[in-house]
Amino acid sequence: MSQAPQLPRPLPLPDKFTQFYWDAAKRHKLAILRCQDCGTFIHMPRPLCRGCLSSNLAPHDTNGLGTVYTYTQTHYIYHPYWADKAPYVVALVELEEDPSVRIVSNIVECPIDQVHIGMPVEVVFEELADEVSIPQFRPRQSPS
Amino acid sequence: MSTGRKLAVVGVGYSPVSRKTDLTVHETAYLACKTAIEDSGLKPAEIDGVAQYGFPFEMVTTWEVSETLGIGELQWYTDLSGTGPAGITGVIAAAAAVASGSCDACVVYRTVSRAGGHSGGEGSRTAPKAVGGDMQFSAPYGNFAAPQWFGMYMRRYMHVYGATEEHFGAVAVTQREWAALNERAIFRDPMTMEDYLACRYISEPLRLFDCDLPVTGAGAVIITTAERAKDLRHRPVYIDSWAFGTGPRPDWFQWPDMANMGSHHAAPKMWQRSQFKPEDVDTAQVYDGFTIITLQWLEALGFCKFGEAGPFVAEGNTRLGGKLPTNTNGGMLNIGRVHGISHVIEAVEQLRGNLGPRQVANARVAVAANGGGPTAGCMTFYRE
Repeated sequence: MSQAPQLPRPLPLPDKFTQFYWDAAKRHKLAILRCQDCGTFIHMPRPLCRGCLSSNLAPHDTNGLGTVYTYTQTHYIYHPYWADKAPYVVALVELEEDPSVRIVSNIVECPIDQVHIGMPVEVVFEELADEVSIPQFRPRQSPS
Repeated sequence: MSTGRKLAVVGVGYSPVSRKTDLTVHETAYLACKTAIEDSGLKPAEIDGVAQYGFPFEMVTTWEVSETLGIGELQWYTDLSGTGPAGITGVIAAAAAVASGSCDACVVYRTVSRAGGHSGGEGSRTAPKAVGGDMQFSAPYGNFAAPQWFGMYMRRYMHVYGATEEHFGAVAVTQREWAALNERAIFRDPMTMEDYLACRYISEPLRLFDCDLPVTGAGAVIITTAERAKDLRHRPVYIDSWAFGTGPRPDWFQWPDMANMGSHHAAPKMWQRSQFKPEDVDTAQVYDGFTIITLQWLEALGFCKFGEAGPFVAEGNTRLGGKLPTNTNGGMLNIGRVHGISHVIEAVEQLRGNLGPRQVANARVAVAANGGGPTAGCMTFYRE
């Protein structure tokens, strides 16, 4: 391959509703918004609870455990960062604390052909840039 | 459907549809509407409603079409964008408007541009440094585009129902057979299962031949009352019923059961409102942005059981002479992604009965359906 300059992967651009999520990631926690009135988990972040319309929502630090719901191995290069990394896995991970919450993730620390539906995974954090971490999932190593 | 006036589709038409063209999206919108208006026998001044569904990067507004084509004083119009189930979104809106008496004759169109931002389109290869909105939870992971999302829907469907890659391939191979009978189709050379299995993955298990074909072009449809349709150019094709569906959560990734789609919520509602049943349908024109969507519509509409659409197609039921000839123009896999209004046009043309080698004999009832993932809209048409 040529020595083209390495383009960074796209960073999240937080807004007033999502800032907490990326702040939590920075301290290596996977936080999901939760309604303080009815307990519904809200992901992606919204200003209202879809269960009871309350705006009394607060981030909840999850235990970071989940299961692979589905996944794909992407071969097509949509962004130059992945030019020398394809095929790569894009997965949806449902959280143990509420399986209706799904997080988009690559499955890291795992050979691409080992990823499967139902695979127990746990969160780890990948540093993308100064002060920017993103949640990722790897095969679960701690006892569940 | 018991609400409103009896409706007829009286005009259909396309602009040129191609992979490479000098036509602008505005020209394609005008040409498709002109063709449909001339096909109907209505004069532009008799049309008093205009609707369109389009994405912002390729949208031609109802005002521009009305002004350019000399359409009459508008009683009703709407510019729909973004979340709907493709081109049928505008067709359902137009049907509701004419049924309610908001307008008497409505032209509805869908314009697509290959230069736009659709996946596989020329505008889809970008390198953003930072991404906001809901995509901030996807872009850092390289999750950008519909082929990836449908790759994940496919994988879940395979896991739940035991579907195989050959089941998706059967859709692609069968639709290529139909395309050979359609002189407007872009891809007409025969395709074998070996060809399908040899083609590259875009986002595994989704292959290039599971995807529709990015094009520039437009399609248009004209709806009026059955009363007004009596003395127009064609034997009227009547609208029986329609429904939208999103399922419980209109979101691509939080959608609860990814082995199903919005189609499984729209289709039962449509049959509740219909004078027909699935077994009355002579031909189905169901969305094929990706082959998984076609399989799911066949199941959702009740033509086969859940998880059995793959074998249903592989056994030849959707071919010419099969139990349910499906996507008889070759589908968007072969004629190009006119984004679903093509399914409505093909349903209407089948019921008119003049499609030559691909005509379904004695077709009397047809279904058209659009949308995948959480989005879904479907309609039933008939002739008397």
